[in-house]
Amino acid sequence: MRPTTRWLALAALTSISALGLATAAEPYREQYPPARIDPARGVDGDIGFSDTLPFWRTEAELERNAKWVGDPNEQWKLNWKFMDLDRVELHPGHLAVDEGEAMAARLSQRNPAFLLCLADGGSDLNGRAAAYPKYDARLGRIVTVESHIEHCAKTVLSEEIRQGSPANNKLAVYFKSLSAGMPIRVDLGDGKLMESYRRGERLFYAKTGQLNFACASCHVPGSIMGHKLRGETPTTPFADAAHYPTYRTPVGALESLQERFARCHSQMRTLQLKPGDPAYVDLEVFMTVLSNGYPVSVPSAR
Amino acid sequence: MKSLPPRRAAFGILLLAAAGQAVAQAPAADYSAYPCLSYSLECGKLATRRPQLKQLDGALNGNAEKGKQLAQARNGGNCLACHVMKGGSQPGTRGPDLSHYGTAGRSDAETYSMVYDMRTRNLDTLMPPFGTNAILSDPEIRDIVAFLQASK
Repeated sequence: MRPTTRWLALAALTSISALGLATAAEPYREQYPPARIDPARGVDGDIGFSDTLPFWRTEAELERNAKWVGDPNEQWKLNWKFMDLDRVELHPGHLAVDEGEAMAARLSQRNPAFLLCLADGGSDLNGRAAAYPKYDARLGRIVTVESHIEHCAKTVLSEEIRQGSPANNKLAVYFKSLSAGMPIRVDLGDGKLMESYRRGERLFYAKTGQLNFACASCHVPGSIMGHKLRGETPTTPFADAAHYPTYRTPVGALESLQERFARCHSQMRTLQLKPGDPAYVDLEVFMTVLSNGYPVSVPSAR
Repeated sequence: MKSLPPRRAAFGILLLAAAGQAVAQAPAADYSAYPCLSYSLECGKLATRRPQLKQLDGALNGNAEKGKQLAQARNGGNCLACHVMKGGSQPGTRGPDLSHYGTAGRSDAETYSMVYDMRTRNLDTLMPPFGTNAILSDPEIRDIVAFLQASK
């Protein structure tokens, strides 16, 4: 082997191993080009994003634009908000409030500490759900309403009421209904929460699965949002977290936000994660910050 | 209908839609060979399959009629999700209208490589890499190309 050739071979070997190391640390991953979202604006960030907020922000606007319901070209601009609270007739989402209330009463009767745990030591649950998700310093993790219910059931009652289970969803619907109409106020001043927001934001743009889609592929300007995707028209992600858990008419069951993520992932041909998975928690934080300032809208149907 | 308050009428529509939509819960397929969002599972560390410029090997030999079925099938190419095409219902509107693709004068080879992996043209495309990610097989892509070329 001539010296030059040997040098080239060595160089080639070195570069291959360097590439190998780089690949092991940081695999090649594609992301959808990020949109600019300022978390401090909360739900107002939809202005300059989908620009549909003015059509669904208030009761009066929804009334004014009710003519769009059922219109295949215009309905997406209402962001399905005509399905929230008592804007629609009685459905199982409404019944879940009563069932959740009865369940909470039963469990609190067994041990009053259950309600105390749910209320973080307070006397009632009123308005508390609007501040979730939040960072719990004692547990050292971000807590959602659903994971909080699971935690209190386990620690106080030694009972498994897993996130994503019908019982957990009913309790969560009841819990959140006690904040209905109150503006969501996720604490942006909490550093841990903002770290979670940033991780969730990255996940929102990360392309995954066999179809190589990100959440953003359907839910940012310039993507499929506002366009027809066969029978559907993807809507803005702003204020979406406000109405979960929701009664899903096509499914015939309550569904939490994180269960919805999993259903989306199955449609995106991506491995579904379980409710409570740290990645889904971060995504929920990101999505809920995009609802900041918008009222909790539980119960609801979709 | 007119006399009903709009909100209630709206929900009536949705209930009907729900009733007609028996949700078939297919067994969850395993997509763990592709990147996922997990921080701990192996798929969370998987790389995206890189864009691959695939050349059409030999003559096309595609079946346009089969291609049409595949383009419409939700578990096939589901091209209709984003494109208007000849036949099928509820086409999408995000991608270009392909109902007269055959008049554009693009070659079979060019069309094949675009369906195989559109990222070779535009890295930010929304179109799934049908060949690279094994969504469609080589013969299936040939059928779809034949259907596109026959769409005049």
